[in-house]
Amino acid sequence: MIGDTLSHASLAGVALGLLTNQNPILGAFVFTSLCGALIEFLRTYFKKYTDLILTIVLALGVGTAITIISSGKLHANADSFLFGSVLTVTQFDMIMVVVLSAISVLTLIFFYHQMLYLAYDEEAAKIAGVRVKLINYIFSILVASAISVSIRIVGVLVLGSMIALPVATALQLRKGFRKTLIFSILFSVIDIMIGLFASFYLNVAPGGFTALVSVTVLVIVMLSRKIYLDSRNRREEKFTAIK
Amino acid sequence: MNNMVAAENLRFSYTGSSPYVLDGINLFIKKGEYVSVIGENGCGKSTLMRLILGFLKPVSGKIESHAVRIGYVPQKNEFNNSGFPITVYEMLDSYRHLLKLSDKSIPAKSMEMVGMSRFSGSLMGELSGGQTQKILIARALIGEPDLLILDEPSTGVDIGSQKEIYGFLKKLNREKQVTIFSVEHNLEAAIANSTIIYHLVNGKGHLCFPQQYAEEYLRSNKII
Repeated sequence: MIGDTLSHASLAGVALGLLTNQNPILGAFVFTSLCGALIEFLRTYFKKYTDLILTIVLALGVGTAITIISSGKLHANADSFLFGSVLTVTQFDMIMVVVLSAISVLTLIFFYHQMLYLAYDEEAAKIAGVRVKLINYIFSILVASAISVSIRIVGVLVLGSMIALPVATALQLRKGFRKTLIFSILFSVIDIMIGLFASFYLNVAPGGFTALVSVTVLVIVMLSRKIYLDSRNRREEKFTAIK
Repeated sequence: MNNMVAAENLRFSYTGSSPYVLDGINLFIKKGEYVSVIGENGCGKSTLMRLILGFLKPVSGKIESHAVRIGYVPQKNEFNNSGFPITVYEMLDSYRHLLKLSDKSIPAKSMEMVGMSRFSGSLMGELSGGQTQKILIARALIGEPDLLILDEPSTGVDIGSQKEIYGFLKKLNREKQVTIFSVEHNLEAAIANSTIIYHLVNGKGHLCFPQQYAEEYLRSNKII
């Protein structure tokens, strides 16, 4: 849900970037990072209502974006950021993608154990001396950078699903954290490559089609797992009967 | 300093004003003691534990822990069937990293200590209640804590595993002098294992010896 909220909020960053004649990707990164920090800040006031916090930030982001876009003061078209298009990616965007991706990977490697524990058991992390607030802020910036680098290609509207679906697919494999992380990345690459190539030949927006590919891959993995488990159970039953 | 935990005139409420969940608590836990905190639901047992852990701040009075390292065993219900993709080994090894301990054999030793070595590759969410509890105890013991805090360690655990867990805790306390603070709903276990019992009623508490509490309990329930 945090990915979905921040991806929608990033549209406001894009709009602000276009409004001020700055790079929209950079605008998305800054605004999304601030929204991530706001989520963490609001956790102090709405301790047990995470969904409510996400709704507040979503309202702030989408409200800002719609107000700016509908004002008619933008000097460029924001539609390509809604639906995604590889053709609009500039050389500067590519450099940003490479730099932000490298920073994200390095941060993840450096804070791997802290982030794992924050997601799994925040209280244990606190007792072990982890600076929970700081790591949560870093995590928000990581999500913001992941969103910013993908926004041009897949678009704001389906970015949230692009973050969540490969993880949902990897979770079906019932592996540990490290393997689930690796499989999530693998499924992401598969989804996006098939989505990009197919959308080019079908002449449709890459974001929407990539999301459809992600859902299809998820369904295939779920069905494959069910078939595998059923056949294993049948084999075991047969083996027990023979014994 | 002989006290592991010291609470003086401790008052706490979630709203910051009256009525207080804990009202004027004075509790001094000496090093090497095994304290079981008992009382009815909602009497403030878990609140007291969370104050010691530093998760909550008192409204007035003070509470101090003089432990060098605290081991915490939360209620295992939060971890059963959670669906979070983490293996037993990963959970223990990441915790070792958080404590900045360089000995890579710690996860294996911890699992061995609670007799769970063969579950190293199992997912946490797929363990039984008793198995989860043993792993949570194993994690709490990483880094050799001098204070071990447990939140209802026998809830949802079968009798056989309960015996193993309490036997292990008792041994840890008597042989290694680890101070134990356990929030308990299991009176039998509290009486059999603790060196002292802290009985909380309506936000106030009093210390008594297990035998003394057992007699009080039997008398008040007209069993003797």
